[in-house]
Amino acid sequence: MSENYPKLDLNIFVTIKQVPKAMKTGADGLMDRSGKSMMNPHCTHALEEALSLRDRVGGQITVVSMGPPNAQKSLNEALRKGADRAYLLSDRKLAGSDTWATAEALATLIKFILKENNETLDVLYGGLQTVDGDTAQVPAQIASRLKMSQVTYVESVKVLDDKHLEVRRIIEGGYQRLKVPYPTTLSVTETANVPRGPSLTASMSAVDKEVIIYNIDQIGLPEKYAGLAGSPTVVSRVKNVVIDRGPVQLFNEGDTAKLVSDMLTAVNTKEENN
Amino acid sequence: MSYPEKDSKIPFVDLRDGARGIMVWAPLDGDKISEAAFELIGEANRQKSKLDEDSQKIIAVLIGKEVDKHAQELIHYGADIVYVIEDDRLEEYLTLPFVTSLIDVINEAKPEIALFAASTLGRDLAPRIAAKMNCGLSADCTEFDIGYYANRKRNQRFKKAFKMIRPSFGESKLATIIGPFNYPQMATARPGVFRKLDKDSSRTGEVIKFQPKWQEGDFAVELIETVRSSDSLDLTKADIIVAGGFGLGKEGFDMLNELVAAIRANGQNVELGASRAAVDAGFVEYKHQIGQTGKTVRPAIYIAVAISGAVQHIAGMKESAKIIAINHDPSANIFLSSDFGIVNDYQEVLPELIKQVKAGYKFDLD
Ligand SMILES: Cc1cc2nc3c(=O)[nH]c(=O)nc-3n(C[C@H](O)[C@H](O)[C@H](O)COP(=O)(O)OP(=O)(O)OC[C@H]3O[C@@H](n4cnc5c(N)ncnc54)[C@H](O)[C@@H]3O)c2cc1C
Repeated sequence: MSENYPKLDLNIFVTIKQVPKAMKTGADGLMDRSGKSMMNPHCTHALEEALSLRDRVGGQITVVSMGPPNAQKSLNEALRKGADRAYLLSDRKLAGSDTWATAEALATLIKFILKENNETLDVLYGGLQTVDGDTAQVPAQIASRLKMSQVTYVESVKVLDDKHLEVRRIIEGGYQRLKVPYPTTLSVTETANVPRGPSLTASMSAVDKEVIIYNIDQIGLPEKYAGLAGSPTVVSRVKNVVIDRGPVQLFNEGDTAKLVSDMLTAVNTKEENN
Repeated sequence: MSYPEKDSKIPFVDLRDGARGIMVWAPLDGDKISEAAFELIGEANRQKSKLDEDSQKIIAVLIGKEVDKHAQELIHYGADIVYVIEDDRLEEYLTLPFVTSLIDVINEAKPEIALFAASTLGRDLAPRIAAKMNCGLSADCTEFDIGYYANRKRNQRFKKAFKMIRPSFGESKLATIIGPFNYPQMATARPGVFRKLDKDSSRTGEVIKFQPKWQEGDFAVELIETVRSSDSLDLTKADIIVAGGFGLGKEGFDMLNELVAAIRANGQNVELGASRAAVDAGFVEYKHQIGQTGKTVRPAIYIAVAISGAVQHIAGMKESAKIIAINHDPSANIFLSSDFGIVNDYQEVLPELIKQVKAGYKFDLD
């Protein structure tokens, strides 16, 4: 820890989602989750921001997720990278959750953990969005539930003083810099950082750590707010997108001079039957 | 109007509880109204005829410092009612006061549909409002419709449900999202997709000055500064754009500039473009950035060098007539959106390309 930073011992949470490695839909038109899975790429950047903040000012990192039991895989990965605690909310009744219901569930889980341990939250990090949902809505919706401020599309985070962070967010045509008091929720873009890999020391201490798993009853989430039942939106239809640009014509025969001249000739060739 | 026979046992419901009209948040881009606001007002006008007669009104919401002067312009582009909220602290967007403003207007005006641009601001604002009002929200829509919808599980049918259509699964599918159970039905809509109406300066409407009730903590987050690129470079007029990505590094951009100079020396109208990652890394200035948060361009020829092809980049150049990609990674997404490609290191390809352009090669532009 650098002496330039105040020692703050922040209570940092990170939301993490496990997503399919390959995006495909099943026969029912919904996401096929039977194949290989991974930590959502944006979440790896959120975790990195959390780790780097802890490196600077100290504190504890809790990772939370909602999903099937095998989502422990991503939480364990986070522990091996240095997270201190991991919680998974897993319940069949959560199936079909839209962003409202997802935020409700995760916010209920976070509040439950805070209450159990008699803690308050300082910074909640989330990935900007998930690659299987692409909505970017959940971090703001959790922030609303937790009655915290929020900054989305975050590109960089500086420690300003013992009460404030300086946060840079993307906007159209540029960026904004904001002075943000704790507690706050930050949703992190992929351009924010380069995530670290698992560390040896963290991996060793991760051995004694276990992911704590709860169902909705245990954290007091009413069934009527969970999953499809609690979701104000439903997917009524899914259809394929037709891409109007034809396949790419690749040039890979011969030396570079020939590749380039073949391509330049093709670029200037008028298409026939057009 | 006839409805499917198989649904005939499901009762029709109307859960709007008095909600009527389509609301559009009209954000500002610096000191002018964002194009996205006009686009959404245009789309709202196209959709409104499918609603009940008493719901065919477009309500715009304008928030900022001394923004009253823009209200008439919103009316000229199709708004019927404009709520104006003025506060010196709101010259630039701030999440919480804007959330409070819109929630207060929604509670007052009670729209059945609320639309927001799917910009970095709209996608920050709308989810928070939806969470607080317990409404559904569909992200980044590219198409809308209003019409019949039956939900067997809930045993409810709707005559005029709002259908929010959005790309999903990495843009490979279009999903229709429905939520006529809570109001307003909310969506963010992708900028640049919908057409605005022609401006009609004779159109009239109502302007309502509105004072929201600020909540404790609304102004706790302070804006230090907003930096927007100066628009001194008009990339949209170039016939040819040579764009570089993060993979180029600083030296690569020197080479790319040499290519630009060589094409220009042949009398062709060419400009340098870049990805956001290249801009962030400091290789080039913001004004060169192409994509969702940069410029949208449609040149005759677009050459993408060491650009991976993220959706946010593609959004700004996909309508180029011919797209050429140079990238050493054959699995780079950019090749899915290109017409011509070379899979190789730029250090190999660029010198040769420069050589052939210098030797007199000109791109056909039609
Ligand atoms: C809200 C938001 C808005 C955004 N707006 C924009 C926007 O407007 N415009 C934009 O561009 N991005 C935008 N982004 C960022 C976007 O998601 C990508 O991160 C960015 O486009 C990546 O830039 P890149 O392709 O240059 O870099 P990378 O993704 O790092 O790709 C570099 C590429 O270079 C190739 N390469 C490396 N070395 C070589 C070599 N020697 N020879 C040949 N090829 C090589 C690699 O194979 C790779 O494909 C936005 C992101 C967010 C979250």
